[in-house]
This record gives sequence, C-alpha cells and structure tokens, in this order.
Amino acid sequence: MQLAKDNYMYQMVRCELVDAVGREFVNSGDADGLGHSIDYYWIPEMWHDRGGAPQRPDFVVHPGSSEEVAKVLKIANQYKIPVTPWGGGSGSQGGALPVYGGIILDMKRMNKVIEIDERTLSVTCETGINAQHLEWAVEKAGYSTMHFPASIACATIGGFLAHRGTGVLSTKYGKIEDMVMSLEVVTPTGEIIHTLPVPRHASGPDLTMLFLGSEGTLGVMTKVTLKIHPIPESRKFHAFLFPDMHTAMTAGAGLMHSRLQPCAIRLYDGPETARLIKRVLGIDRVGAYLVFGFDGPEKIVDLQMERACEICRAAGPKEDLGTESGEAWWRNRYKFFYPPYMFHMPQAFGTLDTVATFSKIEDVYWAMKKTVEENFPEANFIGHFSHWYDWGCMLYARFIFEKAPEDPAEAAALYNRVWDLAIRAAIGAGGVINAHHGVGLRLGRLMQERYGPAMTVLEGVKKQLDPNNIMNPGKLGFKGV
Amino acid sequence: MQINQFNEVISACRFCFMCRHLSAVGLVSCRESDTPRGRALIADRIRMHPEELGNPDFVDTIYRSDLSGANRFHCDGYHDGSGYDEVGLQLALRRDIVEAGFAPESVKAIAAEFQSSENWSIEGSGEVLYFIDPCTAARPDTTAAVAKVLNRAGVPFATIRGGCIGKALAVLGFASEAETAMRKFAAAVNATGIKTLLVSSPAAADALRNDFKTAGVELKPEVRFTAGYFVELAEKGKLRFSTRNFAASYLASDYLKNYLRCDCAEKLLALLGIENRQFGTNPEESFTAGEGALVLARLHPELAKQLAARIAARAEPGIPLITASAYTADLLAAAGADVSTLDEVAAEALC
Repeated sequence: MQLAKDNYMYQMVRCELVDAVGREFVNSGDADGLGHSIDYYWIPEMWHDRGGAPQRPDFVVHPGSSEEVAKVLKIANQYKIPVTPWGGGSGSQGGALPVYGGIILDMKRMNKVIEIDERTLSVTCETGINAQHLEWAVEKAGYSTMHFPASIACATIGGFLAHRGTGVLSTKYGKIEDMVMSLEVVTPTGEIIHTLPVPRHASGPDLTMLFLGSEGTLGVMTKVTLKIHPIPESRKFHAFLFPDMHTAMTAGAGLMHSRLQPCAIRLYDGPETARLIKRVLGIDRVGAYLVFGFDGPEKIVDLQMERACEICRAAGPKEDLGTESGEAWWRNRYKFFYPPYMFHMPQAFGTLDTVATFSKIEDVYWAMKKTVEENFPEANFIGHFSHWYDWGCMLYARFIFEKAPEDPAEAAALYNRVWDLAIRAAIGAGGVINAHHGVGLRLGRLMQERYGPAMTVLEGVKKQLDPNNIMNPGKLGFKGV
Repeated sequence: MQINQFNEVISACRFCFMCRHLSAVGLVSCRESDTPRGRALIADRIRMHPEELGNPDFVDTIYRSDLSGANRFHCDGYHDGSGYDEVGLQLALRRDIVEAGFAPESVKAIAAEFQSSENWSIEGSGEVLYFIDPCTAARPDTTAAVAKVLNRAGVPFATIRGGCIGKALAVLGFASEAETAMRKFAAAVNATGIKTLLVSSPAAADALRNDFKTAGVELKPEVRFTAGYFVELAEKGKLRFSTRNFAASYLASDYLKNYLRCDCAEKLLALLGIENRQFGTNPEESFTAGEGALVLARLHPELAKQLAARIAARAEPGIPLITASAYTADLLAAAGADVSTLDEVAAEALC
C-alpha cells in the first residue's frame, strides 16, 4: 500500500502502530524522516548534497520488545506496507534506506544487555544496542567482545549481524558470524523464533546462518548471544615497509600459513601507503606498509611476534618500521574514518571490498585496479588487505573521484558504472560481491550474476518466509514492491 | 544566516556517524534527528532551502539538544583538539530561528522571563562576591554549604543574585539580549570593587570566563569555581577537611570538562579522600541530564526526566552520586538518585 498523509488510511495505520508501541514511539516528523532518508551510502548523500530529497519513510517506529516488533510486522502484513529495519544507519550499501517509504523499524530502543554468562563466556543482548555501548558493558565485567570495527561507535549489533560485519581483530576472533552463538528472530509474518543455543551441532541445517547477512529481508533479528573473551594480558604490534605489494602479500600469507595467531594483519598498497598512512600516521615512505599484531599472555605474544618478524624479514622488507609504527597504527585505527581524513563530498568514493583465496587475491586486486584506471582515468584506486584467514584475505579497495558531476543523474550513473565494472572484474578474477559491508541497494543487481541458478534458492526462502514481500523490498537482489 | 559561519562543521558532520554513541538525547529518544549528524543534516537542508528554517519539527529538534559538548570532545580527541564545533552550529541555528521570528512560544516565554529579572541584589560585603544563579538558588543546601565553607575559612563574602547573566538567553538563541544582560551584570559586579567572583554553577563559570570575553564585556574580578577555590583555600591552610573514605561517582560537568577543560572537581574529591568511581561503563558520555542546555528541564521537562532516569538507573547501589551543578543534582534527586553537589560534599567534610 502506498501511504499518503492526506489519506485517512495513513491515520488508520498510524493509530494501529501507536497501539502497538505507544504514541511516543511512532514518529512521522520531518526531522527524523530526514535522518532516516540518508545512511552512509554515497548515492543518497549526493542526492541530498545536490538539494534533492531522498525518499523518506512514512513512519519511524521504535519497538521496545520482540513482541512489539511482531505486532508491527503483523500490521505491515495486514496492509502490505514495506518495513525497513534500521540500526545505526551507518551501513554503506543503502541497506537501511526506506526506498519505498513505509515503516522504518528503528531498533535502537531495544538496547539492553540481558545477561553476561561468565561460565560460558557469552553475552546476550538486544540487537539495537550500540556496539560501543555493548563493548563498554562487557569490558566493565572484565571481558571483551573483540569486535572492533571502524563503525563501532555508530553501528548497532543488529547492523553487524544483518551485513556480516567485521572488526579489526577478525583475524584471530572472527567475523561477526563467527562470534554468534544463537539468535532470536521475528519472522516477517510476526512469529518469534529462536535458533539452536549452540553454533556447532548436527541437528539439521544452521538456521542462525540463514539469517546472518539477510539484511532485514528475511525477518528482524531481535536478540543475540555472542561469544566474549578475557581481556588479554598483552597486545603488541609491529610494522614493516615492503618494496611492493606482492612482496608484502607473500609475507602476510606467510604469517597465516605459519598458523601463528595474529589478531590483526593489514597491508596497504603503494598508493594508500603514500596517501593515508602518510596523512594519518605521518609515515612518509614509498612502498607497501604491513602491520600486524598479537594478543594474549605476554610470553606467548612475544614468542609469536618474534617468529612473525622472522617471516617478514625473510620476505625481503625495505624497512623494519618497528614496534612504535605498529602501535601508532593501532592507536589511530579509527582516525582514518573521521572527517576530514575520511573521504567526503565533493569527492565521489566507494569501498569495493571483496575477498578471495591467496591464490586469487592479487589477481582480483589487479583486475579491479586495471578496470577502474582504464575506464575512469580521473579516478584514484587505492586498497588495503585487512581481514586475513587461513586460506586468503579481504581486499578493501576504494575508488575516489575528486569531484563527481554536479548533475545528480549523471553522478549516479558514473558511480554505478564504476561499481558494475569493478565488481564484475572482481568476480571474474575469483572474488565475491562483498566481504563485510553487505549487498543492500548498491549491489543487489549483481546478485543474480554471482549466484546464477542458486539465486532461486534464496528467492524461494524469501518467498516462503515473507509471502507479502514486506521486509526491506528491493534489497539484496530481491524484488521490489 | 549565522549558520553560514559553520559551513565546515555542517560539511563534516552531516554524513558522519562517529560520535552518535555519545548523543545523550539521542540515546533516550532513539531518534536519528537527535544526534549531531541529524542536526547537521537539518542545518544543511536549511542552508540549501532557507524557507525550511521555520519548519516546526526542525525547530523543535534544535531546541531538544542537550548541548553537552561530549560529541565535540570526542571528535577533538581524534583531531588534536581541533574537532568540529557542533554545539556552536546548534547555537547558530537557534540564533537564526530567533532572528527569523520562528522561536516557539515556550522559548520566547522563558527568554522574556530572564530579560525581565535583572534586578541584581547584593548583600553583605567582603573579599569574595558569591554569585547565586537561579539554578543554584533553587537548591538551598548548596548555597548554605558554600556559606559554611567560606565562613569556616574565615573568608568574608557578599552575595549577588537576582537574574540572568546572559547564559540562558544565549543558549536560547537571544544573542543581543544575552549581551545586554552580560553588560548589566558586569556593571553591577564591577561597581562592588570586589576582586574575586565565586560561582557554584559550571554554566555560570563558562559564561563569565568565556562568553563575556567573546562578547567583549569586561568583568574586573577573577572568576573562580567553588571546587577549585576550596582546594586553594585548603592548600593555603585556611581549610581542613576530614578524610571521607568512601566511594562515590562524580558525574563530570559538561561545562567544566568539555568547555572549560577544568579538573578542579576531581582535585577536590581527591583532597576529600573520596574514591571517585567511574560512573556507568565509560568516561565519555554526558551524565548531566542536559546541563549544557541549561533550561532543558523547563523547555522539555519529559525529555529531561528521561535523561535523569537513564542516569539514575545506571547508578550502582550504595555508591552515591556527586554533581557539579545544582541543576543536575535536582533532576537526579527527583529521579530517585542519592546525589549531592560538590559544594555540599565539601561542607560535610569540614573538620
């Protein structure tokens, strides 16, 4: 149903929503509507910047419990009104945008820490909690979630679950999907369900994994139990400068192949070393900057660090930048994302993150770089490799135009063309659509290409769970309204 | 428009989410618009479409802010002290709203009250002039505590009370009226010839030290905040405090921490032997229930109550709270918290 404020049905729906969650928690004002019309996706930012008004929701609803979420979804089903879950709004893929209006289900009121289980080492919380607030609460109890993404201060835990987010210590502690024990989910038709209480079992397919990364299209994750960890006795970093990215990649892969347990590895290509490492850390060098760290009992950290440095030295570094350079990177890890260090208007920019095996990842990098530079010579291409696995790593590539066309339609066309070509190049070289930001509105059109016939499986699941297609339509490659 | 002086702030904040976890009002309302990003988007929209300045929902949002400074303080931390002045942007927006005649009736009523109450009353005489602002005057325990401490130290003092020194008017967006109030107050104070002007209100301390200077209003006495002054009296041997030996949580004042960058409260607590236990889970949030906005409890009483309730709910059983401002103490007491002001704690610790 398309709602118009001058139509009595608008008021009918409003009354039902107020009945479900309370008058104070149903908002249709211009101020909050504006805030919810723009997330961290460049297209709505640009649209606003050019004086336009991105699509606003008809209602912003703040449920206070899973039961209230269920009530809202039942109302939405009754009238076939689109519902878009919203956490912190800091997603970069447009996943939380209310592209068809309707209801924004702002989850931030569901922000309670329910239990810290010190025997299991887990925390159960509502998913609308701000990730930094959860980390602070867990730290106060003497533990850590070990989930430290750049968006920790802005995103909710639900946002990370919905987009399979990753923190800076993922190399040791995993992505968010590795941290989840179990979920509570409100299905699109309003049933409250729970996945199994443990993440490893042989009790059928894993329902938890079905919902992780579903970006609000298959239901609303309302509670989660996450693993937590003791705060390590020691955490140390070290940095090297390599003559080129390939040599540095050899060293990084060597660290993973050695089966040491680094908590973080980050490798910056030459252009990003020259641009951002210089600007943020003040290290003015030509080459590829590689930093890594270990945490845990200090003796074990020192042993691992010693062996890791041997591996790096054997790979042929240009310079051993030492501990201080590594520690400076850790201290400033979030600084890259604050203005003015972060890219911003009038620049047009995007993070083309992808992931591949060690045998493919450099091919992916060069394929994307070649595609961007050949097709868009006015763009800069920079990248770093920031989440490492036994088998490969993630590429955080970025393109930057210093200035996009003033005309919003031209700007959007240019922007989308970069994404189409670059992601297709990544897929062609062995990468995937995305590594940890999700698909959302930005990349949905590429899902069919990447999944092929397997997309019908996802579409079947969607249709079964959400027969009226109310949940975040038009995202993740699923059909719109 | 005044906001045009803040174009850099608007550009930096309008798409930035990095401090939203510290938006006290946003944390209780859960509204996107109650964050620095949300307010910067509004300012940006108005910059591009000035006719939207009078949008009642925009105006209401701008007057809901707690103006805490915690967000800027956080941003400063990543910029070596040169972050983005998002509170300055909000004050500029409020000035634009007032100048364009869009101020809500509730705002105008409070401003009118403050403009009509500038009949300064000075009582007593001495080497110190103690300014009793309206918020502190409403908490007699605090004013009595200050009098007790000064008497014990043998410091003769006079008091001045009776009106607005311009801070509340400035916060509401009435800039010229605020300057007029400043000048009247300065004239009354300067005429006494007293060398030390003592205040218990962090907002007053900020006004007298920063706002007066910015406005070019000369204030002859040195402005001292009570906590810092008491520490100095003790160091000079004029005061003796008994060691208190208990734990409490001091809720850092927005004005002292974020605007004046003053740690006199922490020094006083250390002097009194009070273990200052960190409140809540972190030292970054503003736990003042809107101290920065000064009159938030009158403009949006329900919102101020929600802010106070959130703080009271986080208090640890058996650990009393200490605030710098009487404003915050009164709100928290109403929310059921065990709370005292710094001045009251100091008076209780006198030997």
